Amino acid sequence: MTRHLAYLAYGTALLALLGFAEYRGWSLLRTSETRNVPRSVRDNPGAYRSPYVGGGRILRGK
Amino acid sequence: MVAAPPVAVRALRCPSCGAAIEQRGFDHTRSVACASCFAVLDAADPSLRVLTRFAGHLRVRPQIPLGTRGQVGGAPYEAIGFMQRSIAVDGERYAWREYLLFNPYRGFLYLTEYDGHWNLVRTVRALPERVHQGGRLAARYGGDTFRHFQTAVAGTDFVLGEFPWEVRAEDRAEVRDFIAPPRVLSAESTDDETAWSLGEYVTGAWVWKTFELPGRPPAPRGVYANQPSPFAAARRSVWQVFMLFLIALVAMAAVRYADAPAQVLRESRQLAPGQLDPYVTESFTLGGRTSNLEVRVGSDVSNSWFYLVFALVDEGSGRAVDFAREVSYYEGVEGGERWTEGSRTDRVRIPSVPPGRYYLRVAPELAPDAVRPVSYTLTLRRDVPSGGFYAVALLLLLVPPVWVTARAAAFESTRWMESDYGSATGNAAASDGEDDD
Amino acid sequence: MTRRTATCPGCGAAIEFLWSSAVQTTCAYCRSILVRHDVALERVGVVSDLPATASPIQIGTAGRWGASAFQVVGRIVYEHDRGAWNEWHLVLGDGRSGWLSDAQLEYALTFLVPAPPALPPAADVRRGQQLRIGGGRYEVTAVTPARYRGVEGELPFEYWDKRTVRFADLRTPGAAFATIDYSEDPPLLFAGEAVEYDALSLQNVRSFEGW
Repeated sequence: MTRHLAYLAYGTALLALLGFAEYRGWSLLRTSETRNVPRSVRDNPGAYRSPYVGGGRILRGK
Repeated sequence: MVAAPPVAVRALRCPSCGAAIEQRGFDHTRSVACASCFAVLDAADPSLRVLTRFAGHLRVRPQIPLGTRGQVGGAPYEAIGFMQRSIAVDGERYAWREYLLFNPYRGFLYLTEYDGHWNLVRTVRALPERVHQGGRLAARYGGDTFRHFQTAVAGTDFVLGEFPWEVRAEDRAEVRDFIAPPRVLSAESTDDETAWSLGEYVTGAWVWKTFELPGRPPAPRGVYANQPSPFAAARRSVWQVFMLFLIALVAMAAVRYADAPAQVLRESRQLAPGQLDPYVTESFTLGGRTSNLEVRVGSDVSNSWFYLVFALVDEGSGRAVDFAREVSYYEGVEGGERWTEGSRTDRVRIPSVPPGRYYLRVAPELAPDAVRPVSYTLTLRRDVPSGGFYAVALLLLLVPPVWVTARAAAFESTRWMESDYGSATGNAAASDGEDDD
Repeated sequence: MTRRTATCPGCGAAIEFLWSSAVQTTCAYCRSILVRHDVALERVGVVSDLPATASPIQIGTAGRWGASAFQVVGRIVYEHDRGAWNEWHLVLGDGRSGWLSDAQLEYALTFLVPAPPALPPAADVRRGQQLRIGGGRYEVTAVTPARYRGVEGELPFEYWDKRTVRFADLRTPGAAFATIDYSEDPPLLFAGEAVEYDALSLQNVRSFEGW
């Protein structure tokens, strides 16, 4: 059993990383961007400009 | 009772060239080779008649000089004889060397060497049993099963020193080797009899240390028949460690998937051409620690698409996370077969959202040629497990045991390439050097 | 055991018996072969020069086999194509007779089997034949014609001036070993096991120049 010290360390680190990622809610993919918005958006949603606006025309299917 | 005097060493003179010959094997020696003219003499004959000579000019220098002594199994042995033998396989000659080790009380041992691989061999007096294992010839001895490795006819090419039998240049013996690494069982057959011997693989380092030889032993080349596999024991135990990790991984997943994630928001909306104003959802609280947020869109879209531009806004800090999702679904019948493309639902996970009070700002878009309104439902769930992580962890955990297993198999494949069976490995699990520790 | 003494009828030397049940012995001084009729010794022949054998065992060698202690008291020397070998006669603490054969330093310890099973006759015995002895499976591994070369010391029977004798060696998958001696009719069976030198704890063995 002790001959696999490297494997034990590697696997334990892997599972620890997995546990931490699950705990903190990490993701492998980058699906979003973050920035600050003015408080007025709540009252005037139309004034908000998202970097994703207009993508629908490019991303759509058929 | 008068004590007998010590058995004396005889000093001989070669009748062929007159050189002095020292006899180290006492009266056990039947043949002795003159170190100067290489004639092999009959030691039992008072006039030392010449028994045989080896044709050709092959001269081989033994790596263990004759007369060297070493401790083997707690007793001193002296190298008194040396021979080079060879077999012919597929037109190629393979030569190896044998050293005869002698102790006047315990008898004879042999040390064989081929391509830097050494074996310590002793005569076996019990009879091995012939059996079959895995469709192949094998021999059972001492509780172990030895698999047949090679059969070949061996001839002697060159000798030095003494031997307890009559050596003749035209000697031929059929040699059959059976292996159970690190041991090898060999049968040497002549017309008169079959002699069995058991060899144990030893390293060049052991030989050099035992006989206190200068310099370094020659590096071994390739994999030898009964060379123990350095991966054999590791191959089993590494999978045992993997099983431990697998159990831990399954336990982690069980804990994680045990409780259903909390649903923090569920809202339904309808999209129709002209009714596409951006809006904000109700506020909702994300409690607990920083974790992810799953946004699920379920709809009844059919042969069309819609696009939702989201901003997850933190009421307290004013920070927003922007993301957008497209939902499209198409179906039809072509040539009698139904086809579909896309999906009516979409799921995305927003990572590392700190706790706080949030709302979602949504800006929908609809396909310009949409004819029917689309209804959709937003479902938000907090702290959702990421199944992909577990799959990735499993794959990464598999890498070391798979690698060790592959290397062990490659080692065995190389071993069996030298055998009569070419590159067939047969039952690999039974052929490698497994030691239970 | 108390040692019996007698006088050699050939040269008058004192003969001391190591073994009380010795039937035959030799005189170390005049090499006469002497057969014992209770206390009186009858001279029946002379032993010629024994061939030089480098056996480490000699008369007087003591050892242990399992739990029994033994002493070497005599020998018979044979010769064949491979060379000479010795059948050392040894006596155990309980008075039993045993034989330690030394053939090119391969040792086997055997005892005479008093009621042997049916043995193949000398003309029929072949390599590869299978035999059942005492529940064990034995296979004939060698049939050896040998020449008697001489005797020395104390033997449990009368044995001298034989000519060619035939021996069959039998082996098993284990350490068990047996020999059929065709010098008598019916042939004699000796059964025992192959042994390693170190297992016998031998003492008072011969010394070798340089060792």
